[in-house]
Amino acid sequence: MGCKMSGRRIYLDNAASTRLDERVLETMKPYFFDTYAVATSEFAYTQGIEAREALDEARGILSKALNADPEEFIFTSGSTESSNMALKGVAQALGKKKGKHIIVSKIEDFPVLHSAQSLERQGFKVTYLNVDGDGLINIDELRDSISDETILVSIQHANQEIGTIQDIDGISNICREKGTLFHTDATHTFRRVPLDTVKLPVDLITVSAHTIHGPKGIGGLYIRKGTPIAKWMDGGFQEFDMRAGIENIPGAVGFARAARLVTYLENTRMQAMRDRMIDRILNEIPATTLNGHRQKRLPQNVNISFHYIEGESITLHLDMHGIAVSTGSACFSRSLQGSHVIYGIGGDHERAHGSIRMSLSRYNTMREADTVVKTIAEIVRELRKISPLGEESHG
Amino acid sequence: MAEIKVDCIGETCPVPLVEARKALRKAKQGDIVEVTGNHPSSKKEIPMAVRAMGLEVLEIKEEKGTWTIRIRR
Repeated sequence: MGCKMSGRRIYLDNAASTRLDERVLETMKPYFFDTYAVATSEFAYTQGIEAREALDEARGILSKALNADPEEFIFTSGSTESSNMALKGVAQALGKKKGKHIIVSKIEDFPVLHSAQSLERQGFKVTYLNVDGDGLINIDELRDSISDETILVSIQHANQEIGTIQDIDGISNICREKGTLFHTDATHTFRRVPLDTVKLPVDLITVSAHTIHGPKGIGGLYIRKGTPIAKWMDGGFQEFDMRAGIENIPGAVGFARAARLVTYLENTRMQAMRDRMIDRILNEIPATTLNGHRQKRLPQNVNISFHYIEGESITLHLDMHGIAVSTGSACFSRSLQGSHVIYGIGGDHERAHGSIRMSLSRYNTMREADTVVKTIAEIVRELRKISPLGEESHG
Repeated sequence: MAEIKVDCIGETCPVPLVEARKALRKAKQGDIVEVTGNHPSSKKEIPMAVRAMGLEVLEIKEEKGTWTIRIRR
């Protein structure tokens, strides 16, 4: 039972994970059943050489997507590992040589935020930059925060919940001027929003396959040539002796295929669905607030707070209608914790707990977008009738 | 045909609905799920959600602030 008893389900939690594309699976299959050897040097057996060639080809495709050289792209187990490696690797490499100061924004995703907090517990000083009502950092505040002790600035390319795209051009250039390394978490922008390492002085970039219809458990970290970064996981000499562990060859070739399958047209289609959903919800459902910037926004992200009701209730009722979305009112272990992102943009408890994120993918249609808006309108109207705060609502 | 009882007394919204959904997911077709609670909003939203799932609400009763909803899977 998917909760709805029959009919097709509509999945709008693609920021959390996407459906694997069949073409990606087909590309991966030979590396489970035929070329399953570890990647070896040319002095070893044929299967291993073929595995090495597949890994190199995948690396070439992914690095090219960032306009980088292949040796600047390291495969990891996903964006969590990539961001941990970026922050902790740089901290270990420069902590004793240059300084112990790191700058992140308040609305980073947990891999960056919790890595920064972990470093703070180890004696590093961390500045958490404020963001404005749309989720954008203040460039002047960033410039003023960088000191001689600053070893790394980590600001996400786009936000995981509200979709706001930061001014990476401005941020990376300030970091370069000030002589500080810059890392960006591009988990949600990779292949959706252009990011060119030749045009922009970004030193480290986190990417992942799971947001672009690739497999889970594979991601990457772009490391600009010459960037001081310590190997933080001990083991073998894989990935240019930067990341130990047997290479995930099926994952790597799947990631590369997934990256190639994303098209400009697909991103434009998602943006049209996004805009239609946002416009219809704000116009047709009273007491709603858009979270995130209206224009500087991921093409696949819709995030709206429905006032006077809990996001969990909307999520549960949508599930009963066969629609999957997520809420900033995360019911972790039944202790209600509002989204740190919504609080970060100045939202209050009610706005945080009433927020719903709908993230689109290749497989969603305009018809589904309309169905979702219609169903949300009905659910919100009914829930407001029974909400303890319902009398205050206009719905 | 089994009868599954779910005690949600003292739990507030949305926990009773989550527990009802959990029980309905485990139930077999034709089983009866009986949810008991005392949070007023849940008494209204459980039938609403159950109907959206295409299931039948057999009975809703309330005595001294404690309600019981019977649902057929």
